[in-house]
Amino acid sequence: MNNAFWTGGKEGFHAFLPVSIGLIPWALVTGMTMTSNGLSFFQALGMNTIVYAGTAQLATLPLLKSGAPTWLIVLTALVLNLRFLIFSAAIAPGFRGSNVLIRWFSGYLLGDGVFATCTPKMLTEEKLSWRLGYYIVPSLWSWLLWQIFGCIGVLSAKSIPETWSLDFMATIALIVLLIPMTKVKSMAVAAIMSGLASILLKEMPFKLGVITAIGVGILAGFLFERFIEKEHA
Amino acid sequence: MAIDSSLLWWNFFLLGLATILPRSSFIVLGEKISLPASIKHALRFAPAASLAAIISPDIFLIHGHFQIGNPKIIAAICTAAIALRLRNPWLPFLIGMGVLQTLSHL
Repeated sequence: MNNAFWTGGKEGFHAFLPVSIGLIPWALVTGMTMTSNGLSFFQALGMNTIVYAGTAQLATLPLLKSGAPTWLIVLTALVLNLRFLIFSAAIAPGFRGSNVLIRWFSGYLLGDGVFATCTPKMLTEEKLSWRLGYYIVPSLWSWLLWQIFGCIGVLSAKSIPETWSLDFMATIALIVLLIPMTKVKSMAVAAIMSGLASILLKEMPFKLGVITAIGVGILAGFLFERFIEKEHA
Repeated sequence: MAIDSSLLWWNFFLLGLATILPRSSFIVLGEKISLPASIKHALRFAPAASLAAIISPDIFLIHGHFQIGNPKIIAAICTAAIALRLRNPWLPFLIGMGVLQTLSHL
């Protein structure tokens, strides 16, 4: 670890700090949701470190609880994680010159907040160790916040009365993620169509309707952008 | 209510893979490989579509049936309105849960 790593780290940390506050309610809610879906303290900790992906965790917990087949659980997470393919492709040039181990480690740490904050400078900065510091330091901070507040969420869920529908906290968290996306018209179309399809297809076994609905939404957004928006442009 | 433990850990492991593989994909493969533009384009809709597909049954259905004026719909609308206007990370949770609790105890 040299000087440039820490200079980059400090700058990345300062850029990410205000964004990272938004993680706290998320981590708390994920912790509470894990408990309310029947995970023990140790299992919750395990999920938080092994999976380390709030959206995928919140979405698969009800499936895990209802005993849905493994392939469906994994497929659901995979679809939600597809965005990381795009993030990964976009930030990849920022790791030019670094070794494979650092690349895997950075991949494990890749989150929405750090990606959005750190990508531009990762691409333009010359010095490799500066870039790595600029990415890894805020990423570790984000990991730490996630684990600490996840734990607090797990522990506090037990003291909340059962009449409170804690499940709804997860729904709120997902609404908060969805809303800013729908400011783009074609995204809103994708969301509305998949939401509608998911309700209409609710009778499909193993929650297969959810996966089908996601496909419908992606297709609707894609077609809307291709054929309807283009015409008015 | 406890979940079979070994199956659960196996699921965690696979979920971990389903997360680290897309995250690491291009970072590990290197910057020279890239996705075709049309796939990148279609993938952009995946997050919004999947979030909507997951939450809408939770919001609109009660025991599998659509009910107009269901407290969850109203709470979800309030949450969405807050999230649309303010960037405060706590308010959506406070307002959403508050509205839901109030309406379901009326």
